[in-house]
Amino acid sequence: MGALDGLMQGFQVAFSWEGILFVLIGVVTGTLIGMMPGLGPISAIAIMIPVTYGMNPSSALVMMAGVYYGAVFGGSTSSILLNAPGISGTVATSFDGYPMAQRGEAGKALAVAAISSFIGGTVSVVLLMLFAPALASVAISFGPPEYFALMFLGLTAISSLSDGSTVKALISATLGFMAATIGIDAQTGTNRFTFGNPNLMEGIDFLVIALGLFALAEVCFLILNRKDKSLSKQSDIGNLKLSRDDFKEMKGPMTRQSFLGFLLGVLPGAGATIASFIGYITEKRITKKPEEFGKGSIKGLSAPETANNAATSGAFVPLLSLGIPGSGTTAVMLGAFLVMGIQPGPLLVQDRPDVFWGIIASMYIGNVFLLILNLPLIPYIAKILKISRPLLISLVIIFSLIGVYSISFSTFDLYLLLAFGLLGYLMRLFSFPAAPFILAFILGGMMEQALRQALTASGGSLLVLVEDPISVGLLAVSFLSFIVPFIRKKREDNKQNQDAA
Amino acid sequence: MKKLWGLAILSLLVFTVACGEQSSGTTESDGEWKPDGNIEIVAPGGAGGGWDTTARSVGKVLEDQEIVENDVAVVNKPGGGGAVGWSYINSTNSPENIFVSSPPLIFVPLNGQSDLSYEDFTPLSNMIADYGAFAVADDAKWNNLNELFEDMKADPSSVTVVGASSPGSMDHMQFVKVAKAAGVDIQKIKYVSAQDGGALTQILNGSADVYSTGVAETIEQVKAGKIKVLGVTSEERLEGEVLSTFETAKEQGIDTTFVNWRGFFGPKDMSPEAVAYYEEKFKEVSESHAFADIRSKYGWDEMYMDSEAYKEFLKEQTEELGSLLEELGLGK
Amino acid sequence: MLKTMNRKISVVLILFSAGYLYLSYNLKEYPYVPVDSDLVPKALGFVLIGLAVLLFFDKSSEEEGEKKKRTVPKKEIGVMAAVGGMIFIYILLFEVIGFLLATALFIFFCSWFLGYDKWVSNVLVSLIFPSALYYLFNYLLQIRLPQGILPF
Repeated sequence: MGALDGLMQGFQVAFSWEGILFVLIGVVTGTLIGMMPGLGPISAIAIMIPVTYGMNPSSALVMMAGVYYGAVFGGSTSSILLNAPGISGTVATSFDGYPMAQRGEAGKALAVAAISSFIGGTVSVVLLMLFAPALASVAISFGPPEYFALMFLGLTAISSLSDGSTVKALISATLGFMAATIGIDAQTGTNRFTFGNPNLMEGIDFLVIALGLFALAEVCFLILNRKDKSLSKQSDIGNLKLSRDDFKEMKGPMTRQSFLGFLLGVLPGAGATIASFIGYITEKRITKKPEEFGKGSIKGLSAPETANNAATSGAFVPLLSLGIPGSGTTAVMLGAFLVMGIQPGPLLVQDRPDVFWGIIASMYIGNVFLLILNLPLIPYIAKILKISRPLLISLVIIFSLIGVYSISFSTFDLYLLLAFGLLGYLMRLFSFPAAPFILAFILGGMMEQALRQALTASGGSLLVLVEDPISVGLLAVSFLSFIVPFIRKKREDNKQNQDAA
Repeated sequence: MKKLWGLAILSLLVFTVACGEQSSGTTESDGEWKPDGNIEIVAPGGAGGGWDTTARSVGKVLEDQEIVENDVAVVNKPGGGGAVGWSYINSTNSPENIFVSSPPLIFVPLNGQSDLSYEDFTPLSNMIADYGAFAVADDAKWNNLNELFEDMKADPSSVTVVGASSPGSMDHMQFVKVAKAAGVDIQKIKYVSAQDGGALTQILNGSADVYSTGVAETIEQVKAGKIKVLGVTSEERLEGEVLSTFETAKEQGIDTTFVNWRGFFGPKDMSPEAVAYYEEKFKEVSESHAFADIRSKYGWDEMYMDSEAYKEFLKEQTEELGSLLEELGLGK
Repeated sequence: MLKTMNRKISVVLILFSAGYLYLSYNLKEYPYVPVDSDLVPKALGFVLIGLAVLLFFDKSSEEEGEKKKRTVPKKEIGVMAAVGGMIFIYILLFEVIGFLLATALFIFFCSWFLGYDKWVSNVLVSLIFPSALYYLFNYLLQIRLPQGILPF
């Protein structure tokens, strides 16, 4: 049976009333769960598994897929409104989304996020549909040396994530990398910096750091400014309508990041987080006005939101066509398949075309649903900001605490969250940017593991890192991206000097 | 400033309340023991993991089939490879709080990563068994374990083994155990740990040579002709369409096995009546049709053991694996 | 010598990396890999020392805005510390008296402390918000939050 027949069958599944209903249930549940800090796609899917017992497999899985991308879609809300990213994929969203909301453009920010997510989600589904089986080889083309090079590329972007002192950005990144070394080392089983505390053995959870450095640190400033009347415009939602110019701004990032995000999503282990960071960084590199990034740039918001949704569809490539779960979320998703008696893998497309193509086809409808459900809701969701400051502060604190607790179920992590909140506040007070910290925390740990996997396999020879064209290419780009800004700056300085003279 | 004082007094008050410990009692009548309130099953890992899946599916059968009258709640206590959950059980010390565990309960204490071992808990019943498999890419030069081990005996560093767990834990040790029985110098085995699907990827793209994992993970890839399984660690041939084609290590003349068992434990001092209660309930679960369905869905084997047999089994396992870890210098 | 803020921070960072390096040099050895678990931490420790030294000699004076941001009135520091203390007590009580009670008390007192004077809506929010969350987590999502001393 050809792919076209399969796709037709898929659309039959997706467009049956049952299919539409379950997609709808899936995306609504997913967005709602995704909006809660701490409840990301992993818990959303794990929660839904028992619900699907006894359901028709293709409907159930169509629903689960909806929960997954719905949760990623909804995850941006708390990043934008409260600076409290609930999942790692939406940390980069808060870089420009929160400043926009602060400026009194919360409605617009949510609309930009929704539309970018929609485009990212839809374009990537087209890519998924056309190339899923073919891309399987891309998914496994990355071995440890290539991952090392990719993470390295991501880390070189740190200098571009800060506006102030480069030294401070690098210090912040080093501290983030250090935080990633806490816990049992996967390659040797050695306990590093845990002081014998079992709570630290699996490392510090990403969410503890993200909510501490971003949400709780922000709470400190909210407390300071709680009576500041001049800031009352922050509670304005602003106009939802995007102007023609806004769309023009979004066009570039949305097109590029749909493709880039999808490709990064295909790689096991990379996923939405890395896609969103790399999306943000590349757009900042390309744009003519990088100084607007971090201060509420539409491009800076659109890029990570497009990328993380595109990456989510990308993650279905290794899952569906190879049976390889590339992330914690897809691993739980794989569990959901198994419960249904369906084994994703190279044979899925032959054995169960209804499931394979049904999921893909349903993602078109799912993304449309998400857009038409979310846009009208924006004014209501954004009303959160109208809540009186003191009450809002208490609620944000509770949200952050529950977010962490629902993942770790330990009060130890709550104390840790409080500590990172203090650290985040001090860092902002002394102008150390938090973004490099979190970027290095995510990428650094993976980079170290990839490096040491590569070196163990090669018996210690460093040549393994440059034996492959992909890793050489990525490393070359990293060095260029590291050097070019310096050269550019030099040139500008010279020019200024000349102008002055 | 007044508010600050108010707060200080308030917090002092709350603090005093908090320090007053309250404990949940258990009702015990003539020989019969019944849990008081909810039964809490602790999964010492996160949502969606192996422990979580086992706990939730057993919990569901306990409730749905009305095997117990009480509510069954599954609580996740992830961290420390299980150690956080174990110390939670140890500190709550109530017979209504039980937990699910598997070989890490042996590995983690032996590696020195937890002070608590199975001896600090009451084994209640074992439920299921899973086995290890060693797979290579389909175009690899080895066709059985002996060919692989011949090469490894000649030059152990020519082969890279990949698994999901860190050295000294399951994927590593199941390979070490079999390799040792085959006469390989286990100190020279190159082992790489890769999470998030990385292990299988590394086999498919040639970054690593041998994939040490559970049998269930290999079935689909074998069907698709991407990898081949050189051997499995079960005592006898497994049943199932593809599973039955996998030769055991024993059949290949390597006299050893490895079981990934999963069962339930309670806190250390439990009354014999309470142990008997759980033994009976878990036996019912194990024999129910509902649980048989779940087992076949996940590809688990039935392996019920009562408390006594379980304790004996764990003792043997600990001795065997302890001496292996000792030899590798990984023991505490 | 420690005139500028940068210099003070730099000294703190150097002390921190010294401690981190000390721990890195005392990590348990694992003999079977070419690159052991201590390499990256050691490198990070030295990198941080290097960066801290750079910061120490960083001449670029801070912008006025940055300095201004740091002058926080003493009273506000007290308020922040008090909120921090309340969070601390909340965490302390969380698993003892349970999610519902702890959260209701926290929202009520924290909002009141920060100057929320609408008593009725404060009480309503402190009751409804935690109850809704509790119901959502415990009953709909089957994620157990601490029950504490209340019977549900």
